[in-house]
Amino acid sequence: MNNPFEPPSGRLALYVHIPFCERKCNYCAFESAVPAAGETDAYLDALGRELDLWQRRIGRPLLETCYFGGGTPTVLSAAQWRRLARIVEEHFYFADDAEVTAEANPNSLNADQLRVWRDWRVTRVSVGVQSFDDAELHALGRLHNACQARDAISASLASGFAVSLDLMFALPGQTFAGWAASLHEAVRSGAGHISLYQLSIEKGTPWETLDQTKLPDGYEMYRWAQWYLPRKGFGQYEIANFAKPGLCSRHNLNYWREGEYLGAGPAAAGYLGGWRWKNAGSLSAYIKRVNAGTFAFASGERLDAEASAREASVLALRTAAGIGRKEFAGRYGTAAFDYVADRLRQFPGDLYELTESGVRLTKKGMRVANIIWAELV
Amino acid sequence: MDLDRIRNFSIIAHVDHGKSTLADRLLEDTGTVEKRNMKDQLLDMLDIERERGMTIKSVPVRMNYKAKDGREYILNLIDTPGHVDFSYEVSRSLAACEGAVLVVDATQGVEAQTVANSYLAVDQDLELVPVLNKIDLPSAHPEEVKKELLEIIGIDASDAAEISAKTGQGVPEVLERIVKDIPAPFGDEKAPLQALIFDSVYDNYKGVICYVRVVNGTLAAGKTVHFMATGQDYQLDEVGVFKPEMVAVEQLGPGEVGYIAASIKTIDEAHVGDTITDAARHAAAPLPGYRKVKPVVFCGYYPVERENINQLREALEKLQINDSAISFEPENSVALGFGFRCGFLGLLHMEISKERLDREFGVDLVATAPNVVYQILLTNGELMEAHRPSDFPDAGRIQEIREPYIKLSIFMPKEFVGTVMQLCQDKRGTYDGMDYLTPERVRLTYDMPLAEFILDFNDKLKSCTRGYASLDYDHIGFKPGNLVKVDMLIQDEPVDAFSFICHADQAYHRGFAVVAKLKELIPRQLFEVPIQAAVGKKVIVRMNIKAVRKDVLAKCYGGDITRKRKLLEKQKEGKKRMKEIGHVAIPQEAFLAFMDVTKAEDK
Repeated sequence: MNNPFEPPSGRLALYVHIPFCERKCNYCAFESAVPAAGETDAYLDALGRELDLWQRRIGRPLLETCYFGGGTPTVLSAAQWRRLARIVEEHFYFADDAEVTAEANPNSLNADQLRVWRDWRVTRVSVGVQSFDDAELHALGRLHNACQARDAISASLASGFAVSLDLMFALPGQTFAGWAASLHEAVRSGAGHISLYQLSIEKGTPWETLDQTKLPDGYEMYRWAQWYLPRKGFGQYEIANFAKPGLCSRHNLNYWREGEYLGAGPAAAGYLGGWRWKNAGSLSAYIKRVNAGTFAFASGERLDAEASAREASVLALRTAAGIGRKEFAGRYGTAAFDYVADRLRQFPGDLYELTESGVRLTKKGMRVANIIWAELV
Repeated sequence: MDLDRIRNFSIIAHVDHGKSTLADRLLEDTGTVEKRNMKDQLLDMLDIERERGMTIKSVPVRMNYKAKDGREYILNLIDTPGHVDFSYEVSRSLAACEGAVLVVDATQGVEAQTVANSYLAVDQDLELVPVLNKIDLPSAHPEEVKKELLEIIGIDASDAAEISAKTGQGVPEVLERIVKDIPAPFGDEKAPLQALIFDSVYDNYKGVICYVRVVNGTLAAGKTVHFMATGQDYQLDEVGVFKPEMVAVEQLGPGEVGYIAASIKTIDEAHVGDTITDAARHAAAPLPGYRKVKPVVFCGYYPVERENINQLREALEKLQINDSAISFEPENSVALGFGFRCGFLGLLHMEISKERLDREFGVDLVATAPNVVYQILLTNGELMEAHRPSDFPDAGRIQEIREPYIKLSIFMPKEFVGTVMQLCQDKRGTYDGMDYLTPERVRLTYDMPLAEFILDFNDKLKSCTRGYASLDYDHIGFKPGNLVKVDMLIQDEPVDAFSFICHADQAYHRGFAVVAKLKELIPRQLFEVPIQAAVGKKVIVRMNIKAVRKDVLAKCYGGDITRKRKLLEKQKEGKKRMKEIGHVAIPQEAFLAFMDVTKAEDK
C-alpha cells in the first residue's frame, strides 16, 4: 500500500477552506459559521500548524493551482490575508504559471483585499453572485444585492484578475425570464468564467422543510444556459462550468482528472497517493487536534482498482472532453473502458457519444448526468 | 371399558357465543383442571386463538364425571375449530362424537355459523343438546332464541338449559344433559380395528401425534397398525388420553378418544379423516367421510429481505408439520424475488398462517393478494388449472374459463337487506333465496364467485351492516364465467406481475386503475414509457410516463469527491431495488401497491 504521505508524483493542487461567513445563507450546508472574537486568528494559527505537519511528511511541493474557498474567504481582513499568504508561501513552491483563485462575496470584498491578492500571486477571483435579481438574493439570505455584485466584478476585473462568477438556478419563485436575465447580466459583466449550480435542498438548513415539489423545474433553465452561453463565447467544459477560451479553471479540472490535491482547513478534502480523506468539520475540533500536533482527519478511504476505475469514469464524464479511451484503458485496463461503454449503451443514444477516441456525454446527457453516473459508480 | 359410561361430544357455536368459556367451566366443574390452574380458554393452544377468541387447532380432553344417577362417566370433549374454512376438520371432529352441545348466545340468537355447524352435526347424525348462554345479561331473550332454534334449525329447545358460562350458572345441568341426552357409543371390541384420525399435531420428541376415536377393536402400544388412506404401516409407540395433558394408557377400546404416537415423521402421513386399522387384520372398509382437503385460496409469500428465503422455507415447513392443509411451492416473482405460492382452505386460514409465521417463526413477509384457482377448458378439449394469470394460455386456445363459486348465506337485521343485496349484486352474486327467520331477521343466500368474495367481501359486508351481519359459505364447485385476462404492458413488454383475471365487464375499469397507479409509481425514465392494459391483442387503456427531466447539479464542493460518490452510490442502490423490465426501472413499491389496487379497485 502506498504511503499516503509520499510526496506527490506530479502536479499538486492545494485547497484551503476558510470556514467563516458573515451569516449563514438559507440553503447552505457547507462547513462555516460567523466567527467569534479571535477565532479567525486561532484558525490561521492552526492552519499554519497543519501545513507544518504536511511539510514534515511531504516536504515543500510545487503547486500548479491553489484555491481559497469557504465559507467566505473575504471575511478575513486584508491583514489576515497577508498572513495567510505568508503561511502558504512558507510551505509550498508555486509554478510560474500557477493558477491561484480566491472566492469573494460581493458584500465583503474590498479594495484592500484586492490589493493584497494582486501583490501576492492570486490570479483569479470567483465572485459568489448567485443571482442578479434582488428578490432572489434576499430569499437566498445573501447579504448583497445585484448592484454590489456588479461592483465586485468590476473591481476585480479592474485589478487585473480573471473573474468567475457563480449563479444558482431552480430557486423558489424563480421564473425562466428571471434566470435568463441573470445569465444576460453574467455574460455582460465581463467575467470570463461562469459556474451554474442547481439549488439542492440539504438537511440541516433553513430550507430543509421547503416543499420541493413547488421548486421550478431546473431542466429548462439549464438547457437554456447550455444553448445560450456558447453563443456568447462561453464553452461548456464541465457539467457546471462555462468559460471563454483559455479561462477554464485548472484547479477544478484537476479534480475531474484524478489529479492529486491537498486539502487544508476544517472540512477540507484531499487526495494523495490514492488516498482520499476529509478533515474534521467543526472548527473547534480541527483546532484542537492540529494544536495537539496531529492531523485532523475525520475520514479516509482508499478505493480498490475497480472502484477507482468507476469513480474515475464518473469524474471524467463531468467534463466535456469525457473519457479518453487510450488514457483510461492505460490506467485501468481495456476491460474497464469496455465496461463503461457497455453500461452507457443501455441509455438512449442521444445521451452520449462513443467514438474511437473515447466517450463523452452530449449536452442532453449532461442534463441527466446523475442518472447516468449512478449506473457507473 | 364399559361403553355405557362413555359420552363423546363436541361443543358447536357461532363465533363469540361462548363455546370456549363453557368448555373451561366443564373442565372446572368436573375437577379435570383445578380452578387455580385455569386460564381462559384453556383448550385453545395457540396464542392467536386466545387473542382472536376462537379455536383453530382443536384439543380433545377427557373428563371424569360423577352424575346424579351416582355413576361415574367419562366425558370426552372434542373441541372443534370454529370457522368455516375448517369445515372439513369440523366434520371429522364431529364424526368422532355421538352428540354436540349447541351453544347459542341468548342475546344474539341464531347466527350463520350456528346454522352451518348445526347442519354439520345433523349430517353426522349427532344428538344436539341446545344451550342458551349469557342468560345473565339483561339483553338476553331466551324465549325468542328458542323459537328461532325451532324455526330455523328445527330443534325443540323448549327445555334447553339456560346458562351463563361466565358465572357458572346452569353448567351442572349441561353436564347432566350430556349424560342423559347424548347416546353412549357402540362398537365391537372383537371386530377388526377401526379408529378415526380426527386431528394431528407434531411433537418434537414423539413425532406426529394423531388424535383418534376408536370405533371398533382396540389400540395398544406395540401393535402394528395400517393407515388405510395412505397405505402405510406403523408400530404404535404409545397410546394415551388427554387429561388434558397427554397421559399414556395401556389400550384404547371402542368408543374411547385419545391419541397415538408411532414415530410418524411428517404430518402429511397422518391425514385427518383417515382410518387406522390392524396391520395384521384389515377392516373390511375405512370409516366413511374421508377426503383429502384441497386448498381453494392461494397467495404468494415472500420474505421482506430477499436473503431470508431459507428462513421462510423452514418456517413454512414447520408450519406445515402442524397444519397439513397448507400447501406451498417455490415461486419467483419479478418484483419480490423468490418466495412461495401457498394454498389455504380459506381467507381466515391464510391470515392465521401469516400471523403464525410472523409470531412463532419471526418471519417478516410480504403476502400478495389472494386469488383463486381457475379451470380452463382448452379448445382441444383439455381441462387445465391456472393458479395465477401467467398460467393462462393464449386467448385463442381458451374455450371457456371456469371459476370457483360459493353459496353464501348471510344473516342480518331486515333493515340491511337492501344494501347487502346491492353488495352481493356488485360482487357478481346470483340471488338464490331470502327468508325471514323472525319478523326482524333475514337470511339471504347468494351464489358468488369465490374470487369476488375473497377480495374484500367481509370488510364491505361489515361496514355496510355496521357489523350486524353474519355469514357462512359452502364451496359449490366451478362455473363458467365471462372472464378475461388483462395484461399490463410496460414499454410494450408484458409484465406478468401486473396482469390479472377479472370479469369482462370490469376489465376497462380495473385496467384503468392499475395503469393509473403504475403511472404514478414508476419513476420517470430517460425516455417516454407507455403503459398499456390489454385483453388479448386489444389495448384497452394507455397512458405515457414522460421522460425524466430532473437532475441536480449540486456543487461538488472543494473536491469532496467521496461525498458525491456516496450520493451516487445511494442513488444506484435505490435503483438496484427496482426491477428492470426492458430498460424501465420499476420500484418494488409499484409491485406492492399493485396489490392494493387489486384489493381496493372498485371505489
